[in-house]
Amino acid sequence: MDSRPNPAPSPAAAATPRQRRRKSWAESLLGVRELPPGIGLVAVVLFFSLQTGNFWSPQTMTAISTVASTITIVSVGVTMLMISGEFDLSVGQNFAFTPIVWAILFVGNDVNEWLALVLALACSAGVGLVNGLVTTVFGIPSFITTLGMFFVLEGINNLLISGHQLIMFDPRASMEFLGGRIATTPFYMPLIWMFAIAAAFAFVLARLRYGNWTLATGGKVGPAKAMGVPTRRVKRRNFVLCALFAGLAGCMQFAYIKGVTQGQGQNYELLAITAAVLGGTSLFGGSGTIWGSVIGAFLLATIQIGLVLIGVPGSFYVTFIGVMLVIVVIANVRLGRFGGSQT
Amino acid sequence: MSGPTNSDHVIDRSSEPVFELRSISHAYGRNKVIFGVNLSVWPGEVVGLVGDNGAGKSTLLKIFAGYQPPTEGALRFMGKDVRFASPAEARAVGIEAVYQDLAIVDQLSLWRNFFLGKEIVRPFGPLKVLDRQRMRSEAEAAVAALGLTRIRSADETVSTLSGGERQSVAITRAMHFGAKLLLLDEPTAALSVRETRNVLHSIDRARAHGLGVLYVDHNMSHVLPVADRIVLLELGRVVRVLDRDEVSIEELQDLVAASAKRLES
Ligand SMILES: Nc1ncnc2c1ncn2[C@@H]1O[C@H](COP(=O)(O)OP(=O)(O)OP(=O)(O)O)[C@@H](O)[C@H]1O
Ligand SMILES: [Mg+2]
Repeated sequence: MDSRPNPAPSPAAAATPRQRRRKSWAESLLGVRELPPGIGLVAVVLFFSLQTGNFWSPQTMTAISTVASTITIVSVGVTMLMISGEFDLSVGQNFAFTPIVWAILFVGNDVNEWLALVLALACSAGVGLVNGLVTTVFGIPSFITTLGMFFVLEGINNLLISGHQLIMFDPRASMEFLGGRIATTPFYMPLIWMFAIAAAFAFVLARLRYGNWTLATGGKVGPAKAMGVPTRRVKRRNFVLCALFAGLAGCMQFAYIKGVTQGQGQNYELLAITAAVLGGTSLFGGSGTIWGSVIGAFLLATIQIGLVLIGVPGSFYVTFIGVMLVIVVIANVRLGRFGGSQT
Repeated sequence: MSGPTNSDHVIDRSSEPVFELRSISHAYGRNKVIFGVNLSVWPGEVVGLVGDNGAGKSTLLKIFAGYQPPTEGALRFMGKDVRFASPAEARAVGIEAVYQDLAIVDQLSLWRNFFLGKEIVRPFGPLKVLDRQRMRSEAEAAVAALGLTRIRSADETVSTLSGGERQSVAITRAMHFGAKLLLLDEPTAALSVRETRNVLHSIDRARAHGLGVLYVDHNMSHVLPVADRIVLLELGRVVRVLDRDEVSIEELQDLVAASAKRLES
């Protein structure tokens, strides 16, 4: 590959034999970043199992898994983007915008359902591209860019949905494909998509050059650029990825519920970031894991459904999540976990 | 062998330089900091670049490295005009840099830092995946060869290393990948006496292998023993070019101090 001089070890180096030390089993386990949120999830599941008789019922499992699946899919994109050092506050609106476009095309205008889906997803990716270009070309915080996009999309959603009947009673093949029931189980397709997407991106992050570049870009942009990483392109791609997954998850939600309102996806940007942070992703970029975000999303979903089961008013759960989020971040900062590495 | 030495070394300056800056000027926004600099580095030559704080040494080095294109002037690499759009292009032709302020990504493990931008991949179905085993062992071997005994494993996060150790990782990386030209911006600033000596020896070995080296340092007793030529930069202009035999360490120190003094008045 490259012809380089391979300097012989200097005398000083040769004189000092190097001690090689591998991490012990216990050290490796403690180093697993998914462990703390995993323990949290187990604790929460145990708590609700003991508090209510019907926690393990098919209905509860359906509810938790469908809520968790869509949050996770959004959160995978958000996690990649956060690791590369940026935020996207527009994913929640995109989560409604994309299925609205899809539904208008094929419910309202009889476009082929698959073509309509592809067009809708192209729109969601376009939103991400705009977010990425505005942020990297003008060098402004993505917090602002995507907050602006949040409002832009909210307005567009209001405009698009007025006067449209976006409910689809007879399920179509594409809807079954994205959000239908998995035969003879209480689970729905988003669960499968969720695992596939999470596994794919856990692999991308740990094993591909792109993952390494994403970690480096979010870690410290200057040194990454100095080593030849195309940091702006990496960020733009993650913006597109993030928006695309938000749109895709929104379409799954539509396919599952068989309808879409402009209220769909409310708070999703915050829930997706919360899932990522509960799962150990750094707010400052440079570190995080996909499986951590999956666990974080299941944690959110379990608490949401579990609180309903034990008779707490449904909309109260966000208060609980808010407190938990702050405690987890304080704990992570105290334990210095945000500095962790990807090996 | 008491220390690096360059006295028995002859450089053929009739051949093409490895790298040449031709009337380079550079401005950060409206603040012009480099004015018409000409500077060449020949194969097997160590050029010491010295000057007061803010003289523009790091800026010149970043232009060499493709980190930032100059606002005016031409770059020539191995006798051909080049224009690097990014450091990746400069690295691809064998130019490696240790930057003063852009060394290492703290959150990444040692091997990920070491191979950042130059990752070794292997085929995995239709994909190319990182060859982690190979990168780990090569990074460990390279670090061991430069004599950094305290680094135990390539999986170690760089944020757990000391400042000097991080600096050493960056230097080792440049030495490992550099094939034609090494750009070193105050590489020994954070290093102990023993590690500084190792770095100076490595510069010597790079020269012996025919690499060109541009070496920035404020410590003349580091620069003079390894440099073949010394370039004094003052407010973005080359004010003196000296052959190493022309000066002593004391004279060099006086020259730099005089330059700094001129700036004050
Ligand atoms: N990124 C930047 N943006 C704006 N101005 C800059 C930037 N980097 C350097 N400068 C300015 O350019 C001039 C030269 O800086 P440079 O870093 O090249 O100096 P130097 O010779 O390396 O100094 P030192 O010995 O302190 O490292 C300084 O006046 C500095 O203020
Ligand atoms: Mg400098």
